[in-house]
Amino acid sequence: MLGWAVLAVIGGVLVSLSRQINGRLSLSTSALHSSYWNHVVGLVFITVVGLAVGGLWTGEPFAAPWWAYLGGPVGFVFIAASSWAITRIGAARTALLIIAGQMISGVVLDIALGTAGNPWARVGGVALILAGMIVARTPPPRGAAATLDNPPQHK
Amino acid sequence: MSPRTAPRLIDFLGAFATGGLLTLMVWFNGTLAVTGSLYFASFVPHLTGSVVAIVVLLALRPTKATTVRAPWWAYLGGVSGALTVMVTSATMNTALAISGTIALGLAGQMLFSLAADKWGVMGLPQRDPTPRDMAALGLILAGSLILIFFGGR
Repeated sequence: MLGWAVLAVIGGVLVSLSRQINGRLSLSTSALHSSYWNHVVGLVFITVVGLAVGGLWTGEPFAAPWWAYLGGPVGFVFIAASSWAITRIGAARTALLIIAGQMISGVVLDIALGTAGNPWARVGGVALILAGMIVARTPPPRGAAATLDNPPQHK
Repeated sequence: MSPRTAPRLIDFLGAFATGGLLTLMVWFNGTLAVTGSLYFASFVPHLTGSVVAIVVLLALRPTKATTVRAPWWAYLGGVSGALTVMVTSATMNTALAISGTIALGLAGQMLFSLAADKWGVMGLPQRDPTPRDMAALGLILAGSLILIFFGGR
């Protein structure tokens, strides 16, 4: 059990690692280029693994509704936007804001789809997340040392 | 152009909106996984995303920030992303379920990204987390955990 828990944490580390690597590529190229390489390299990787391990075509792969196949275009924008954000506001705040956006939009989607849920937990959870976003969005103090928040004028 | 620009409100709103895209991706790709395999649910968005990427690059021809070639490993972000799918697919089917997988995944994301900022790993800007960052982190993670474990029913 502990092993699975560690693996789940590693899953999160891999998410941030991918964002860090793509962000680095965007510094040399562009956010759009980094999303292109992420998708092409990921496609080759998942194809090779899927064919080697087997099971890529099991089930009824073409039985899903048409809109379910549109995750790719959304993903292209997602990776480009992630690379754009991480080089500007840093890894931790990018991760936090993406988590906040995912959680709140998830509640909105659940409500729109009529998914049953605890309204008190939804209100409380969304309120805490919004409060955290307001706290995160504060300007650097005057005279603070040069940091990502307070960039030097040269370099 | 320069990564060392002060954070603006638009940066924060953009990152927040990006999280909304993730909800769409989970919805779309998760629907694929209902009838197809988990590999297929990752294969399709990578394939259609690659097609869109090629079209966008050909249409917009974005300029590169520098003519200096990026290090070889900077092209491997997609491998890490694809591995994520395999890891989470495995843990989702244990006692952790989806909620435990997401909650522990949030912990992993924050651990790595705080360390990444602290030491400026992989050539991205170094940034010391401030006490306000930690307060924001506590609030957002607390709200997320409430939604993950108590929001369902």
